Amino acid sequence: MTGSARLPILIAVIVLALLPLGATSNTLLNFMTFALIVALAAQGWNLLGGYGGQFSFGHAAFFGTGAYAMGLLQVRFGLNPWAAMPVAMLLGAAVGWAIGFLAFRARLRGAYFALVTLAFAEVFRILANAWAFTGAAAGLLVPLKLQAANMQFEDKRLFYWLVLAFVAGALVLTAELARSRFGARLVALRENEDAARALGVDTLRVKLAAITLSAGVTAAAGGLYAQKSLYLDAAIAYGPWISVDALLAPIVGGLGTVFGPLIGALALLGLGELSKMALGNLFGGAVPGIDLIVFGILLILAVAFAPRGLLGLFDRLIRRPRPAEGGEATP
Amino acid sequence: MTELTRRTLLQTGAAVGALVSMPAILRAQAAPVRIGILQPVTGALAQDGEYGRLGAQIALDEINAAGGIKALGGAKLEVVFGDARSNPEGGTQEVERMEAEKVSAIVGGFASPIVLAASQAASRYNIPYICDVGVSDQIVNRGLTNTFRFGPGFGIVTSTALENLVKLNEAAGKPAKTVVVVHEDGLFGSGMAKLLQAQLPGRGFEILETIAHPTPSRDMSNVALRIRALNPDLVIPSSYYAEFVLLARTMQQQRIRPKGIYAILNGAASNFRFVKEFPDAANLVMDCNHWADPRKPKTAEVRRLAEAGGRFWLYNTPLNYSCVKLLADAIERAGSSDRAKITEALASSTFADHIMPYGPTKFVNGQNQGAAPVNTQVQNGDIKVIFPDAFSDAKPIFPAV
Repeated sequence: MTGSARLPILIAVIVLALLPLGATSNTLLNFMTFALIVALAAQGWNLLGGYGGQFSFGHAAFFGTGAYAMGLLQVRFGLNPWAAMPVAMLLGAAVGWAIGFLAFRARLRGAYFALVTLAFAEVFRILANAWAFTGAAAGLLVPLKLQAANMQFEDKRLFYWLVLAFVAGALVLTAELARSRFGARLVALRENEDAARALGVDTLRVKLAAITLSAGVTAAAGGLYAQKSLYLDAAIAYGPWISVDALLAPIVGGLGTVFGPLIGALALLGLGELSKMALGNLFGGAVPGIDLIVFGILLILAVAFAPRGLLGLFDRLIRRPRPAEGGEATP
Repeated sequence: MTELTRRTLLQTGAAVGALVSMPAILRAQAAPVRIGILQPVTGALAQDGEYGRLGAQIALDEINAAGGIKALGGAKLEVVFGDARSNPEGGTQEVERMEAEKVSAIVGGFASPIVLAASQAASRYNIPYICDVGVSDQIVNRGLTNTFRFGPGFGIVTSTALENLVKLNEAAGKPAKTVVVVHEDGLFGSGMAKLLQAQLPGRGFEILETIAHPTPSRDMSNVALRIRALNPDLVIPSSYYAEFVLLARTMQQQRIRPKGIYAILNGAASNFRFVKEFPDAANLVMDCNHWADPRKPKTAEVRRLAEAGGRFWLYNTPLNYSCVKLLADAIERAGSSDRAKITEALASSTFADHIMPYGPTKFVNGQNQGAAPVNTQVQNGDIKVIFPDAFSDAKPIFPAV
């Protein structure tokens, strides 16, 4: 069991780590760094949404908290980014716990939980946009100082590897969690909350633990994003784009699987970038937005033909189709 | 490694080929200089991006038709176009691609967050970056030596808007005393509102209320009703296109007629689309904004080219046109497509052949010192410059009722 979970992770991380040594293009490196940051946010979402079945539409609340904490601790309090990172993760986790406490204690489920998380993210966005401490609408600029001690690297590959290390950590965490007793309780809760409670699972506690962990991981993604772009405003940090990306990636990749968020993020963002490049070369930018149309069509096709995500599709293609699956595919 | 060898081989081959050719052919084959044009042509800012890109294209076509960069043997300017997708990450990614495509400089960005991110990404490769519109003062206050802003920043725009308002009111015999400020809650609107609240009372105006709204907003009737209830002499809106059009139309429908509407960096008040589509709502609206110098003959020519393609005349077009011309002048003086030399030439630029009402260019810490907004007013289906007198082509009509 242990070997079968760890070996694919090791292989995936090694392949990703070797990538910048083979390909020297900074375009690819910048894209991969960004995609891995989104993957990390999605991995956080997957812990709560994929394994726990609690669909959050507002992971921007955690991403943004991580990002702003990272920026503010450096700019306003002069903290070193290496020290600020764990604080940012803790703050993100704390926000996750608080939102979870309010929502889960009120027994909010399904669409209601999704709407509450969405609302929290919006409230955070509006607050960050108005409060002078967060730089209000002018945003927050982290000074450019290219030093390793400052978590800003002259060599962009180093930052890529740092992000990859976080993604690897989240992969291991997810794999360990899936095998643990806590993971089993979480899955039980996803499948049937009432039945899980009847079996003696403290559902509130399990859900709270899951959202706290989930928020902490997504906050790390936010912190890394802040360090990558060195500029934040409310629409970037708390904007709905990251909530959508964080939930779309696991859905496209494979809900409640270890590799789903990573594969989904790479596929989604990669497709977007490829269609932009290919069509940009074809039309020379004469038809703005055509890449987004093609991207949308591909996305619809992906969801239509791979309802269980890319991993599910992969499964279906290499293994013999089980009769039950045909029934599942039709909504 | 193999690629490198092949490239070297090709270059050597080309050089040998060029040496044996006729000198005339050598001149005709001068390597083109690649220019990155970065605009948000998809997403929320697509309209502005399209018009910015149009201006850049007109300038590039003009320069190439006139024989390219003479100091480089008539080298043509080759455009590498990038879509920033209306967000900073999109801008950064496009800068990375432009670096891979070996551009000598980048022009554009439009929105402040995109410019902040893109110019920073460009600074890592020492690519000179000319900001077209982004007004955030952080753009030029960061100490990035590669970043230049040809247009005015927030500080200049706001102080000019305020001063001109006071002058305008005094010249008309001080008809306006009470004010309602309507602003979008982003960078510019909020900052502007704060400044107006601090400055206007000291200059003889009373602010009755400050109303913030988010972008996008789909209904302005509550804002209009509030204005009707307060009945101010002057309404000062600072919003993007759709929101201001909505507000102006609602005010017109409800017959709310203040003595003046004095917009500041408004997305619609200096936009011919608004003027053409809603002439009654737009009539006599004033704005303090970027605008081309109407007295320069070149302005009319660029405007004709822009309108020939069925486009409206927006400030993005002359600003980007001027920025590309400024860059071409720097490349000409640098006599090189080398980034550092172009940056140096830009820093010492005295370029005056642009179509903005700025005078000769002079950069201090990357900010063009002569850059300033002007006051415009919609008068009978046209947008006229009413202030300052040195650039104006019409007299202000104020109070409007």
